[in-house]
Amino acid sequence: MHAENEKNSKIIEFAALGLMVPIITFGIYVIAHGHLTPGGGFQGGAIMATAFALLFVSLGKKAIESIKGEVLVALECIALIGFIGIAFLGMGNTFFFNFLANSGVLFGEKVPFGPNSGIFSSAGVIPLMNFFVGLEVCCGLTLIFFLIFKGAD
Amino acid sequence: MKQLKLVFFSIFAFFFVFAMLMLRPFGSPQRTSMDHYIIENSQKEAACNNVVSAVVFDYRGFDTLGESTVLFAAVSGVFLLFRRK
Amino acid sequence: MIIESLSLMLIVLSAALAVKVKDLLISTAFLAVMSLLLALQYYLLQAPDVAITEAAVGACLSTAIFVLAIKHTSRVEK
Repeated sequence: MHAENEKNSKIIEFAALGLMVPIITFGIYVIAHGHLTPGGGFQGGAIMATAFALLFVSLGKKAIESIKGEVLVALECIALIGFIGIAFLGMGNTFFFNFLANSGVLFGEKVPFGPNSGIFSSAGVIPLMNFFVGLEVCCGLTLIFFLIFKGAD
Repeated sequence: MKQLKLVFFSIFAFFFVFAMLMLRPFGSPQRTSMDHYIIENSQKEAACNNVVSAVVFDYRGFDTLGESTVLFAAVSGVFLLFRRK
Repeated sequence: MIIESLSLMLIVLSAALAVKVKDLLISTAFLAVMSLLLALQYYLLQAPDVAITEAAVGACLSTAIFVLAIKHTSRVEK
């Protein structure tokens, strides 16, 4: 409806492209420290999808051609399959067994009882599952935005 | 007609306020044995400082699988709505 | 005590104003303010994970979808 007189302001373009990097960095921080501070997979994925929503709202048509839909679908499917694969790896005892906690191999350090300054390489399987769930939520919400904006022309 | 709508709305609001005044005080639920077990043993079994993440991904991980499936179904539903004829 | 009751009253007020106003962009801004105050109320009830999720989804993603939808249809409600 407003396709003829769509000239974008330079200030909004510059500010949006400059704000994307801190937002994505903050999202990766919230995902990576999910076992120490409040946050985790879903919260970090929603924050990372906000950066792409800012890109779509402020740039307009130029942002649609620079993102392919098939890459997002492939990333979302790979993340979901990775999450289910990690759940199947502990199949020796039960379905979702935490086989890396207290073991000393990858993320397995013992945590002392009571309040302590957080140890990053603890909590076993939980940081890996945080990463896969965060990737899936980000790609899913960005895909919803992409479809709504592309199909409205 | 307008007075009838106002009367029904005020009866509904009165029931809501009455239910809110009969709640238990904040932070004292009725059964606490499972909460005590999770708080005592979360740093020993799951080795995780954040108890909420340990409950979501370790003690009740099957519900997280269900939530990921619901998100995937919502995205494929939007795909179905906007396909090219 | 003061902050909780003040934020609760502002939530109800901005939700009522979001329905009443005829210009649709101002109504979207009132919905964003309501989501932000709801996130503050979740933090005061000692649930920080829910507060982060509500602030990220309600104040940012939902508002962006509404702005995109208003751009492709009309701006003033008849």
